[in-house]
Amino acid sequence: MNVERLAGAANRSRKVIYHFCPFSLAICLLVLSSCSGVQSALDPAGREADAVATLFWVMVAGGGLIWLCVMGAFLFAGRFKTQPLTERRAGGIIVFGGVAFPVVVLAGLIAYAGWLMPAMRPWFAGEGEGLRRIEITAEQYWWRVRYLDDKGQVLRESANEVFMPVDERVLFVLKAKDVIHSFWIPSLGGKMDAIPGRVNNLQLEATKTGSYRGVCAEFCGTAHALMAFTVEVLEKQAFEDWLRPKASSTPVSAAQTPDAGGLDAFLKNGCGACHAIDGTQAQGAIGPNLTGFGTRPTVAAGTLPNTTGHLIRFIKTPDLIKPGVNMPSYNMLLQAEVEAISLYLKGLK
Amino acid sequence: MVLRWKHVLLAFLAAVILGFGFAWSGLMSVGARSGHWAVTDWFLHWVMRNSIRTAALQTEPPPFDNPEMLKLAAGHYEQGCAFCHGSPAEERSAVSRNMLPEPPDLKEKIPEWTKAELFHIVQDGVRFTGMPAWPAPHREDEVWSMVAFLEQVPQMSVEDYRSLAGLVATGGSNAVLDCQSCHAPERLNGKSLIPSLAGQSETYLRESLFAYADGRRLSGVMQTAVTGLSKEQLASLARDYASMQRGSVANHDADPRGADIDKGRELAEKGRAADRIPACLTCHERADGNPSYPELSGQSVPYLTNQLRLFRQAHRGGTAFGHLMLPVANNLTDADIENVSAYFASKQE
Repeated sequence: MNVERLAGAANRSRKVIYHFCPFSLAICLLVLSSCSGVQSALDPAGREADAVATLFWVMVAGGGLIWLCVMGAFLFAGRFKTQPLTERRAGGIIVFGGVAFPVVVLAGLIAYAGWLMPAMRPWFAGEGEGLRRIEITAEQYWWRVRYLDDKGQVLRESANEVFMPVDERVLFVLKAKDVIHSFWIPSLGGKMDAIPGRVNNLQLEATKTGSYRGVCAEFCGTAHALMAFTVEVLEKQAFEDWLRPKASSTPVSAAQTPDAGGLDAFLKNGCGACHAIDGTQAQGAIGPNLTGFGTRPTVAAGTLPNTTGHLIRFIKTPDLIKPGVNMPSYNMLLQAEVEAISLYLKGLK
Repeated sequence: MVLRWKHVLLAFLAAVILGFGFAWSGLMSVGARSGHWAVTDWFLHWVMRNSIRTAALQTEPPPFDNPEMLKLAAGHYEQGCAFCHGSPAEERSAVSRNMLPEPPDLKEKIPEWTKAELFHIVQDGVRFTGMPAWPAPHREDEVWSMVAFLEQVPQMSVEDYRSLAGLVATGGSNAVLDCQSCHAPERLNGKSLIPSLAGQSETYLRESLFAYADGRRLSGVMQTAVTGLSKEQLASLARDYASMQRGSVANHDADPRGADIDKGRELAEKGRAADRIPACLTCHERADGNPSYPELSGQSVPYLTNQLRLFRQAHRGGTAFGHLMLPVANNLTDADIENVSAYFASKQE
């Protein structure tokens, strides 16, 4: 009878396993699918991220091995070893397994992590000199991005998109306008806080060209989760080409832009009080610089794909898309004006 | 018989039932003709005086240093108060003298109250009398002007009153109020709390009048003034004022109150991006600007500072574009407000 009951229980648990097997498989696949993509530390595309990922895999493998040994010992003690150990042997196991082994393993890990450090963060402050500098100012809830030359002059200003050359160490100069934010491009490296009144430096080197995504990694307010940016890693020449045309000060005149009516509406309603568009009267420095806005992949700092429809929505009701955003609502503009402004912005190259 | 708690309770219940019975019977007269019993009258006034005295404890009157406060209040007094309380030019009406309680002739009553007490009576009204609260909450500035005016009432001559209120004799002895009673350019000067409307943008004037009429812009004076006017009448008034020659009231006697006009100019032309203050002139006074944005040149310093303070406290409504000023004003310091107001007051178009 006992045996029957046991068999029944085994049957039931087998049924449960069959039932859940496809489900758990799906979950596993779903979880694994997040290991790659534009924003994954497990799919590294930079030297620091590489080191972090290697460290992670070494730790997962080592931790897994130790776990298997502990489970094996547990099984052995429970199933096969019927006689108790002598006190001397038990003591030996505790001293070896509980003291000596962890000390050696942890010391090894610390040494390994320490050996990786120089690849991730410079040990000495001077190491950032001579590197290309990109100044990032985090503001609620967007990123001001300025490409600096050797003398610290701004070559080009943009927002919510970072362009980087591949295989070149870049120094990110991190500032914050209002509260503490944190700058993180998981595919390229670790995060670094941006703190009001301080300047933090972070060096990143991308090793693969491609598009990545960065985020704010420190809760900064109601729209914290909607404060992202895109990262484009380009071949060196392509990056220089991107950086230079605007830097050599050949502004696009208002007449050359695709929709002059949009620019008129933009200026008439005072958008230029906060936003700048190079080559126009709009020189506001409070909100994101909109020069070349049409080429940006997203609206509202990585929140929505850059389409005129989304632009119209954002201009009319920014607070519904990003709660707490500093831009006031322009729901009172004529629909035609909002459309013209959106078309104009979308057309900016 | 011993008096027990039960008897007390029963007596109380009986009193309540009898009281309700008496009220239900309708034998209680609510007519105003017979007046209160002397004891009721004394009790009600005693309660009122105590209440107002207590309310005024924490209220510190501002300095009454601007004689133009009287003009802001006088026209409104004539329109809203004189009917019940009489004025230097007019006795109380027979209607008012048959109210219960009878609205006092203020010439005699004003000296009995302090400034702070008068403020609370005008601001909050008096319950169980005909005395209403000020039509607009959060317009303490208007109420203090009224208090300044009230303090002058007992010794005011008929001529002074008529001149302050802008009562214009039309034909016979009847004197009527109209927009010009307050807004006539020749009545305004560098210290006016009343804005100059001549030559202002028609759209701005029309939308502002609609905002007063719909309660979207709060002002005890103006909301009373536009009462009873149709949208067509308001639009036509806006047209009339917009077509007048714009005269800068403050040219001859702009009173910068010691403010730094150059700093004000810098703020108006460049803003201060570090504090998220855009340049005023990106929206205001653009040749191709939105007509919903008002002209500021030549308004008086007291009017401009007052409006900016109301914006900063988020108590200034207005046109559909009015909310754009809220975050801007919120970032202005007291000195900014004085400087930029002085700049616009002295600016020639």
